[in-house]
Amino acid sequence: MSYSDKVIDHYNNPRNVGSLDKSSTDVGTGLVGAPECGDVMKLQIKVNRETNVIEEAKFKTFGCGSAIASSSLATEWVKGKTVDEALSIKNMDIVKELSLPPVKIHCSVLAEDAIRAAIGDWKKKQEAPKPVAAEAK
Amino acid sequence: MTKPAFTEIGAKPLPLETNSCWSCGSMRAAHFCESCGKVQPPAPVDYFSFFGLPAKLTIEVPALETEFYHLSRKLHPDLSARAGSQEQEWSLEQSSLLNDAYRTLRDPIKRTQYLLRLEGVELEEQSKSATEQARATGGVKKQIVPPDLLEEVFELNMQLEELKMNKQMQEDDAALTAEIAKHKTALEEKYESLLQELQSYWKEWDALMERNPRAESPERKQISAKMVDVLNRRNYIRNLVRDVNAALEN
Repeated sequence: MSYSDKVIDHYNNPRNVGSLDKSSTDVGTGLVGAPECGDVMKLQIKVNRETNVIEEAKFKTFGCGSAIASSSLATEWVKGKTVDEALSIKNMDIVKELSLPPVKIHCSVLAEDAIRAAIGDWKKKQEAPKPVAAEAK
Repeated sequence: MTKPAFTEIGAKPLPLETNSCWSCGSMRAAHFCESCGKVQPPAPVDYFSFFGLPAKLTIEVPALETEFYHLSRKLHPDLSARAGSQEQEWSLEQSSLLNDAYRTLRDPIKRTQYLLRLEGVELEEQSKSATEQARATGGVKKQIVPPDLLEEVFELNMQLEELKMNKQMQEDDAALTAEIAKHKTALEEKYESLLQELQSYWKEWDALMERNPRAESPERKQISAKMVDVLNRRNYIRNLVRDVNAALEN
C-alpha cells in the first residue's frame, strides 16, 4: 500500500503543529486515541469570543502517516469556520480528500473525534461558571 | 460401559440434536460413539462445546490440558489408520479442531476474545460505532480509551520524541531515560492489573451463565462491553510498551 501524494505532503509539511494554552477559556482541547493502532491525537482550537469562529487550530499526533495527515488537514479545515460549521466535518470528507485506503479509515475517524472532543471541551468551558475573581475585575 | 471422558470437566448435557453413530446406530457423543467408541464426523460446535464445557470464562487449565491430551490420544489419526479412509479423515479433522480449541481456550485473552466473537462483538468496530453515535446525537464521542490513560500516553510519547532527538544529537539525557523507564514500569503494572480486572468480569459472566445461559439481557451486553473495554486498554498499553522498548534500545 502506498500513501497518496496529499498524505505525503501533509506528513512532510504538517500544518499547524504545536499547542495552545490548555487552561485558557477560549481554547478547546481534544485528546483522542485509537486502541486498534495505539495512535494518539491532540487537537486544539482557539475560538473568537464574539463570533464563535475558530481562529487558530493546532495539533500534535503520534501515529502513522495517515493519522498525521488527517489531523493536519483537520486543523486546516476548522480554521475560519464557526464551531457549528466545524462540527459538520465528517471523517469521509477527510478520506476523500486524502484518498485514504479502507485500512486507514480509522485515522480519519480519529480526526473527526478530535474535532468533536475539542469543541466539546470548549463548549463545556463556556457553560461553566466563570471564576468569580476574574469576572469581578 | 464407561462414560465419555468429556463430560468430566463440564456438566453440560449432550446436545439434543445428537445424531446416531454412523457405525452402530446408537446415540453418539460429540467425538465418539458412546456405545462402540468409533470416531464421529466433526459436528459444527464452538470450542467450549467441543470440550463439553459450558460457555464460561473461568476455566481450570490443568483439567483442560488433561482432557486435551486424553482426546489427542483418542482422536489421533494413526489410531484409525487401519480403519476406513473416511474414519481417518474425521480423526484428522477432529484433531485439528481439538488443537485450535485447546490453543484458544487455554489462553485467557484468546478465550475472552473468542467468547466475545461468539457474542457477536467485533473489537475493531467499537470505535467506529461510537463515532457514529456521537455524530447522531451531536454529543462528544464516548472514548474507548479513558482520558487519564490518553494523557499518560501523550506525555510519554512527547518524552520518547525528545529522547529520539537527543540521540540524533548524540546527547544522552540520563534523567529523561530514567523518567521514561519509570513510566514503562508503571504501564507494565497497569497491564498486569488489567488482567485481574478482566477476571472479575469473568466471574460476573459466569454467574450470569449459571443463572440463564440463553438470556438476552442488558446485563449480558454490559458485561461483554466491560470486557471489550479492558481488552482495548490492554492492547493500547501493549503497543505503547513496545514503542518504549524500541526507543530505549535504539
